[in-house]
Amino acid sequence: MHICPRCESNRSEVVSHSPVKDAWEVLLCPVCLFTWRTSEPDSITDPAKYKSAFKVNPKDIPNAAHVPPIPERL
Amino acid sequence: MAYKDFRDFLNTLEKEGQLLTISDEVKPEPDLAAANKALSNLGDKTPALFFNNIYGYTDARIAMNVMGSWPNHALMMGMPKNTPLKEQFFEFARRYEQFPVPVKREETAPFHEVEITEDINLFDILPLFRLNQGDGGFYLDKAILVSRDLDDPDTYGKQNVGLYRMQVKGKNRLGIQPVPQHDIAIHIRQAEERGENLKVAIALGCEPVITTAASTPLLYDQSEYEMAGAIQGEPYRVVKAKDADLDLPWGAEVILEGEVLAGEREYEGPFGEFTGHYSGGRAMPVIQINRVYHRKQPIFEHLYIGMPWTETDYMIGVNTSVPLFQQLKDAFPNEIVAVNAMYTHGLVAIISTKTRYGGFAKAVGMRALTTPHGLGYCKLVIVVDEGVDPFNLPQVMWALSTKLHPKHDAVIVPGLSILPLDPGSDPAGMTHKMILDATTPVAPDIRGHYSQPLDSPLGVAEWEKKLSQMLR
Repeated sequence: MHICPRCESNRSEVVSHSPVKDAWEVLLCPVCLFTWRTSEPDSITDPAKYKSAFKVNPKDIPNAAHVPPIPERL
Repeated sequence: MAYKDFRDFLNTLEKEGQLLTISDEVKPEPDLAAANKALSNLGDKTPALFFNNIYGYTDARIAMNVMGSWPNHALMMGMPKNTPLKEQFFEFARRYEQFPVPVKREETAPFHEVEITEDINLFDILPLFRLNQGDGGFYLDKAILVSRDLDDPDTYGKQNVGLYRMQVKGKNRLGIQPVPQHDIAIHIRQAEERGENLKVAIALGCEPVITTAASTPLLYDQSEYEMAGAIQGEPYRVVKAKDADLDLPWGAEVILEGEVLAGEREYEGPFGEFTGHYSGGRAMPVIQINRVYHRKQPIFEHLYIGMPWTETDYMIGVNTSVPLFQQLKDAFPNEIVAVNAMYTHGLVAIISTKTRYGGFAKAVGMRALTTPHGLGYCKLVIVVDEGVDPFNLPQVMWALSTKLHPKHDAVIVPGLSILPLDPGSDPAGMTHKMILDATTPVAPDIRGHYSQPLDSPLGVAEWEKKLSQMLR
């Protein structure tokens, strides 16, 4: 388990390993759908250093505006 | 002239000195985006970049900035790389009028070499990477997406080929941003009203002509493939998709086939956009990928997008200006001279026109607001005289400085539509718009002191020719 740098959930999973062994992994957070590579700068990978303006509160995700709205069934 | 496929165009760029290969090892982040942003800062004649040594990958090959300069745009059209921009505009407009050129159908394509239908993992198949620091993930932002009108599937032109940003949000899942003014939003609505998934196909690594047509604001029932044929001067080659009645570009490197999942919305973004701002996060439709095919050792094409100018602006500059030019000419065939809608995808448009009578230029500006592209863009329309080159900003600034009287010539029209990505729109998707009439007043609009326009000394044209020869 890994901590998502953006929404700080602990449910992130590895979705890809580097073709060259042990160079990096790609992780995906199933809560806020943030994706990152472990070799990125710590301003991306470290929850404490991730820019505050881009943090996501998991509670806000269900309230995100639908673009476009889901239309009525005909 | 047509390019056989994406690789053929890259070979041309290399021969013309417009492709720079980076063989030193680079990190996927931040090097790929940083190199491209740095390149954009170096002027408007930059080469494409080709990366073949990327940390952690064994054989990834990534091409970027493929159309990120005026020389590369000229080469896309098969013109000499030093062709002036205004000449590229008028040649594009001439070819635009050759539309439609019917497609050429093929049975197989090079991308059929490798096919994957089980355990699809886009993170393994594609060398994905982050562009801007606040991006919510890895994006496909130079892929074309093909979909069909469900109410009228037999009208060829209503098959849409468009460029939309797509976030890779799972091993076989993409998020897509369907801006309401764009055609894909119509197809998604049709499918969701039926409760059906919408079949789509996505092509990566295409010849630049189809990328150009896909990013041109054509009318809804105009075929991008038939426009690609017009721009390249011969029929565009397509091959059928396997899971849907959709045409695919024959020369692509990678194809993803899938479907937009009816009624699903999922958190997407933010993404650094062409407006020079991040888009924010919203819940957007989801595409499930069911089939992938690609050439062996595919070349992955990507585009850096961010604070203008970047490749995006070169890619959508001329081809945004020309449809506005043609649609304004339809209304005012004897007056419209040229249109420059290259600034932030036409949020600013500059129109050069003759004026028949007082107030005419303002009418031209209002017509621009009601063109299909103007409905989502054209927040500021500047109208200048026929003698002002709208591609020459110093001339445009001169016209604004001397011809415009704010009391008479600044027109604000309230409460119009705009694409929601405009960070100034409030609420998102709504804005006031402004027309600045920087043309010389003509009767009965009699005002100002414009009876003595400055002329040039006699013989300037001859001296210009003589001096330019001496300077070679």
